[in-house]
Amino acid sequence: MQQGGGSETEVTWEDQQNINKFGRLNNRLHELEDEIKIAKETNENLEDSSNELILTDEEVVRFQIGEVFAHVPKEEVEGRIELMKEANGKNLEKLEQEKDSIVAQMADLKKILYGKFKDSINLEED
Amino acid sequence: MATASSSSPSSSGVPERRGIPAAAFVEDVQTYLSQLGLDVNSALAFLQERLQQYRLVEMKLLAQQRELQAKIPDIEKCLDVVATLLAKKGAGEALIADFEVSEGIFSRACIEDTDSVCLWLGANVMLEYPCEEATTLLQSNLENARASLEVLVADLQFLRDQVTVTQVTIARVYNWDVHQRRTRQVAAPMDS
Repeated sequence: MQQGGGSETEVTWEDQQNINKFGRLNNRLHELEDEIKIAKETNENLEDSSNELILTDEEVVRFQIGEVFAHVPKEEVEGRIELMKEANGKNLEKLEQEKDSIVAQMADLKKILYGKFKDSINLEED
Repeated sequence: MATASSSSPSSSGVPERRGIPAAAFVEDVQTYLSQLGLDVNSALAFLQERLQQYRLVEMKLLAQQRELQAKIPDIEKCLDVVATLLAKKGAGEALIADFEVSEGIFSRACIEDTDSVCLWLGANVMLEYPCEEATTLLQSNLENARASLEVLVADLQFLRDQVTVTQVTIARVYNWDVHQRRTRQVAAPMDS
């Protein structure tokens, strides 16, 4: 336990709410990082597949719909992949924005909480 | 169940949520301990036990969350397939698809123009639906799953808040005890 443990800094309901909020934001941040990782991977996969499409000379491509691979003409597949890339790009952007906002909020909360509690509180990732 | 300290004003408002008791916020450790009528160690033990219970519920909720998060893409895939079938309708040509018969083994299927699909409802039951009805059913399943997920996420957030409050309370009770002991230690030598 910290030596500052003997201090009598009282914890108000507002402090508690700040601490709770920090915890929630931290959890959401981790979830977001995972989601961003997946979205980036999907992006790469879509890029790879559209590159493969350009290289292939087959007219019919097996495109996965649901659990099956449907035989789809190449142009349609190109169109579908473009749509998927766009949707994924937008999703990724949205996630990155949410992440930036959360990081900023957490920095603010850190300032407030460290300001009041100094050593008695630890807000770092272990 | 510990009673909420009477001096706590409009707390988060909820005394409990879907069976999860809220952790009472402690305004003043001294008052809290005398209200509970427990000494420090018993109070700490009680709080630790509460924490364990919260953790158990958290694990349960996380498992449910994972289940739902797996279910949702499944429903979306089904919707995709039905939508594709609908789009192909009237085009005259059959849809050729390769599907997995077993691990690593695929077979080719030729799907003619069709007005209906069979949906697996679970419990070894499969029903045939006209395409549009199937879409509606799948859509409503998807919305229900998403709504359940939202509620679940809110439950988890509430639960985590209670865990944080309990952890902070444990730390404060412990610190208060340390502080008390130190004050007593300082006072003791002076008595001689």
